[in-house]
Amino acid sequence: MNSSLGRIGAIARTTFIELARLRVFYVLVLFALVLIISSSFLARISFQQELQVTKDIALGAINFFLSMLAIVATAQLLPRDLEDHVIYSVLAKPVRRFEYMLGKFFGVLGLLVISLVAMSILCLAVIHLREGAAVRETMQQLAQSPSEELDHALVGVHQAGANRDLVLALLLILTKAAVLVSLTLCISSFATSNIFTISAMAMVYLVGHLESIARDYWLHQRAAGWLVRAFLAAVVFFFPDLQAFNLSDQIVAGSSLSNLMLLKLLGLGVIYIVGYLVIAIAIFSQREL
Amino acid sequence: MKPVLALILILAAFVPLKLKMEAACDRIVPGALSIDLREQIGQSAFIAVLGGFRSVMADLLFIDAYSAWERTDWTYLLLRLRQATELQPRAILFWEMAGWHMAWNAGTAAMEDDSKSPAARRRLQHDYLELGEDFLVRGIAYNPEKPQLYEALARLYRDKFHDHVRAAENFEKASRLPEHHSYDERFSAYELSYCEGREREAYDRLRTLYQRGEKERLPRLLNQLRVMEERLKIPVNERIIP
Amino acid sequence: MTEPAIRVIDVTKIFPTPFRRRRVVALQDLNLEIAPGEIYGLLGPNGSGKSTTLKIILGLIGPTRGSVRIFGRDNSAVAVRRDIGFLPENAYFHKFLTGAETLRFHAKLSGLSGRETKSRVAELLATVGLARAADARLGTYSKGMLQRIGLAQALIHHPKILVLDEPTAAVDPAGSRDIQNLILSLKKRGTTILLSSHLLTQVQEVCDRVGILHRGKLLREGHLEDLLAIENQTELIVENATPDLLDGLEREIAAGKARVIARRKPQTSLEQLFLKVTETGDE
Repeated sequence: MNSSLGRIGAIARTTFIELARLRVFYVLVLFALVLIISSSFLARISFQQELQVTKDIALGAINFFLSMLAIVATAQLLPRDLEDHVIYSVLAKPVRRFEYMLGKFFGVLGLLVISLVAMSILCLAVIHLREGAAVRETMQQLAQSPSEELDHALVGVHQAGANRDLVLALLLILTKAAVLVSLTLCISSFATSNIFTISAMAMVYLVGHLESIARDYWLHQRAAGWLVRAFLAAVVFFFPDLQAFNLSDQIVAGSSLSNLMLLKLLGLGVIYIVGYLVIAIAIFSQREL
Repeated sequence: MKPVLALILILAAFVPLKLKMEAACDRIVPGALSIDLREQIGQSAFIAVLGGFRSVMADLLFIDAYSAWERTDWTYLLLRLRQATELQPRAILFWEMAGWHMAWNAGTAAMEDDSKSPAARRRLQHDYLELGEDFLVRGIAYNPEKPQLYEALARLYRDKFHDHVRAAENFEKASRLPEHHSYDERFSAYELSYCEGREREAYDRLRTLYQRGEKERLPRLLNQLRVMEERLKIPVNERIIP
Repeated sequence: MTEPAIRVIDVTKIFPTPFRRRRVVALQDLNLEIAPGEIYGLLGPNGSGKSTTLKIILGLIGPTRGSVRIFGRDNSAVAVRRDIGFLPENAYFHKFLTGAETLRFHAKLSGLSGRETKSRVAELLATVGLARAADARLGTYSKGMLQRIGLAQALIHHPKILVLDEPTAAVDPAGSRDIQNLILSLKKRGTTILLSSHLLTQVQEVCDRVGILHRGKLLREGHLEDLLAIENQTELIVENATPDLLDGLEREIAAGKARVIARRKPQTSLEQLFLKVTETGDE
């Protein structure tokens, strides 16, 4: 047990180091950082809701780039190990296949956490600064108005600013990226090239955002024709509901996420991750190398 | 054959668990999905392509709507407001502004259009008022827990439709939600006092408000109370306002 | 009787080719037995089934029929691999890791403790002559250096069995000689070695026994001298003999009812020549 964790840790560490030394990912994170910083400038053109637009752009950039990072980084792990024949030297050691897969998963997860932390710090800082400015402006504008109205306006500003919900949104973005990692490993486990894996994941990403609609139609038997129904069933059975983790809608409305809902969403994420990892390991264990 | 069996077993455990948890996390507003499947998919596919940038796109469309207003291009304004609210139905500001632009700005502009006959102007204004009403009603359907949209709808009924019953109703609905303005209850009572046959109800509500203390005893409340006491012929010794 | 280090029993491997009727038979009814301490060379051209045999022995792929035993235990148990070190063919390893990191990684996978790892890594880097390149990334290594770091990772956990897939392919003769010397020194310590090769000369010099694999079947197997010796012929190599002496010898032979088939000057092999020239060049 202990040595099993040790092996998973060693593979995760190596995977992380390897990815961290690949420069292409810095470009990706850098691009996101540039977008986050520029969000506050882009927001200037939007009159009454600068703060909201800043947040939308920053969260959108983090969401998108972390998802891309998850897919691209994971997709090339297995093909590279196969190509460089490392997989033989690793699996010829007393390493079980599940340990290899879990090591890869946690290695990428480490990379994602580091990237997210870097992007989040910048995002929170930018929003915090803009929030301060918005508070000052509001106080100036409403200096003559009754205090009740000012309070109301300030509540609005803080709802749009850096708060608990923003942090939760970032946490759920990470959950979504982790789900994508496990799914990419799942496809990698039988794919023969990373081009195939990435194209398949592009489709999964799109369909995953539509899964909730497919589910609604499938559950309520609203679709006509067995072919459509079979297609919907396939989507509902195998694809994750990625839209569930996009909290920006909720947060835009300023309606905060209850703790119960947060737990449910994290639970959903864990079910996806465990499910897809188990499938990935089952397929990979049968694979002839 | 064995590996296939293992895979089937895994899926047999995973799929029901997945569906159950997804159902628990569902946030879709019941009844919101009334459009045709194909239309829905087409629209959502677009949203999915946008991925995390959906909100950003909505923001940009809304900004564009703002410039359409400056150009007084009402058709273009309507189009952009529709797109922005569709992409981001949880943004209260979008609905509120959409309702206001239609009912107040476009509606007023229609009345001032000299190229049309007075009857045509009134018809056009009425159309814009209904468009504004439609935005607010749909906004409420997506965000039933937000008082701002009820307040906006109440103002629309009060100022544009002169429909005091529905204005009173909507101010009252707003007053029952968290984060409502303290004036919602008073406004609801004022509107009710203009409704024929409901004077007694309105008077009771005004009275209750008065009894809550100094904070509620604003000049308009006192004035309205006096008017109602006159109208209902309340005996002098029972009156609040002597 | 001692248990063989490796025993391959009636192994057949068939690769199904998807969407086609035809199946590829990679190995047919293969039987191998390798004694502890022995060096066994698996010979054959590319595609003869050498790599498949090694992968089945290591449990990287499963046989269609048959089984493999390592010191009497079935090779499907993961613990069996504690006894085996493997050098894959043409391995590049993780290009972004340094030599020392690569060895530490494999040490951890083999379950070595922190202290063991430290001393073992330093020791092996010295053994394979990479101490100076320890902190350079593998991306900058030459083919021969990669092969040596590969050997080091295979040896990290003191395996009783070493499996080498084409250990000297694409390595220059000097590097190849180093690897051969290393193999021989491991044999002295009692390590069992199974290697595959399509280059016959290197096998000739280190292997106790060889097997010749062709199209998935083991055609010949045995001690090298036995396989190569032509029983009724003898070679004489004589130094400083005068032509008269040689003529006299030939006459003696003819009188003894034997026959001289050839009389020629022995030649050095190109490999020997290369080594001689480069060694003197180094000094």
